[in-house]
Amino acid sequence: MDEKVYNAIVKAIATQKHIDGASIERESTLEQLGISSLDAITIVYEIEEQFDVEVPNDALENLKTVQDIVDGIGALVAAKA
Amino acid sequence: MPRVVVTGLGAVSALGPDVETFWTALAGGRSGLRALEEVPGGASNTRIGGQVPNFTPAQHFPADLLPLLDRHSQFAIVAARQAVADAGLSRDDLGTAAAIVGTGCGGKETDEQTYARLYREGRKRAHPLTIPRGMPSAASSQVSMQLGIQGPVFTVSSACASSNHAVAQAAMMIRAGLVDVAIAGGADAPFTHGLLKAWEAMRVMSGDTCRPFSADRSGLVLGEGAGMVVLESEERALRRGARIHAELAGFGMSADAGHITDPSVDGAVRAMTAALADARVSPDQVAYVNAHGTGTRANDVAESRALRQVFGRHADALAVSSTKSMHGHALGAAGGLELVATVRAIAAGLAPGTANFTRPDPDCDLDYLPNRARAMEIPVAISNSFAFGGLNAVLVVRAV
Repeated sequence: MDEKVYNAIVKAIATQKHIDGASIERESTLEQLGISSLDAITIVYEIEEQFDVEVPNDALENLKTVQDIVDGIGALVAAKA
Repeated sequence: MPRVVVTGLGAVSALGPDVETFWTALAGGRSGLRALEEVPGGASNTRIGGQVPNFTPAQHFPADLLPLLDRHSQFAIVAARQAVADAGLSRDDLGTAAAIVGTGCGGKETDEQTYARLYREGRKRAHPLTIPRGMPSAASSQVSMQLGIQGPVFTVSSACASSNHAVAQAAMMIRAGLVDVAIAGGADAPFTHGLLKAWEAMRVMSGDTCRPFSADRSGLVLGEGAGMVVLESEERALRRGARIHAELAGFGMSADAGHITDPSVDGAVRAMTAALADARVSPDQVAYVNAHGTGTRANDVAESRALRQVFGRHADALAVSSTKSMHGHALGAAGGLELVATVRAIAAGLAPGTANFTRPDPDCDLDYLPNRARAMEIPVAISNSFAFGGLNAVLVVRAV
């Protein structure tokens, strides 16, 4: 599941930022990727739609790296299963 | 009080992507109203419209910007860029400029897409860009961001008079010494399913075409696009050696305080009278009137009567035309497009005609330049906008 979530997040980031998905790593920070707060909520929206989960507002404040998003979404998906 | 001059023009309309295609069609009496291309969302009864032909957003905007731009914002930016380029200004010249953008509808495309997902598809969440893309001030914000305009920036909304109110507001700022350059005009993109249905319900839409002042007129035809101008203090324009298209000599505004949709003669008379007084122009100096001329039964009679009241015997010497017969009724963009038309008419010495005119209406008894432009000297022209809500704004343009 982690891989599926990871791939979806990489794709959402790549689409939003118009960058090559291969340049995105788990430890990449959102700052390094130039992800603004508006980018972040758009990326999270795409993932929410795809996995039918609801990311709470306060969870967004703690996202620093791609892996943080993967962990957060992964936990929500697991909780749903 | 500084004089205000027009130094830049921009237009995106049913007649084409720029000012040259716009003016060439108006001068040649060619209408851009065509069979309506499919509007996503469902069937409508509207068969004809003034859609911007071959408009490819990706040709104008980078991929990372496009998701933020409602169609009306796209038009606003493209027309504003044209106006700024025409004025010979660059980003560095606009740091303290104003941008006042009129819109009647705002980001309807964006809002309707979100509402369709929520109401029709039963989705749980709205797209996160719905607010920044669809808010009524989206176009003015984007014009500011894309052109580096950092002075007073806001949206003016007064339905079909939005552009003229925006231009008047910008001119007032220049006169007051608040700014010495401003981008002003309007943009609208009303070809969305919900909005088309709403206009159909008003029963003012023509099933035929737009025939302003003609006895067999059958209503308005919607248009879309943007018309923007660069206004400058005359002093600044002269100092930098700018080409001055015309003087924005004055403006007049009034409200009917009557009916929400029925136009009043009195309100239109007061706006035109105020505009002429503001410009210190006597009625007999005016040669051309770019009429509001929607092609509805009600507007065209009321406007003709108002012109007669304001101009008296000189009304018979006026050349009056409605260019909406060619670019459609672009709502909040109408006044901007018509100001561009009026300025070009003065510069060219050619008053555009009223297209699709078949035969005179006894209740509309002025010279509407049926189907043909007329070569004539135009020392002074006025451009009328009389909106739903009884909100009226008239601009006076003088040759330089």
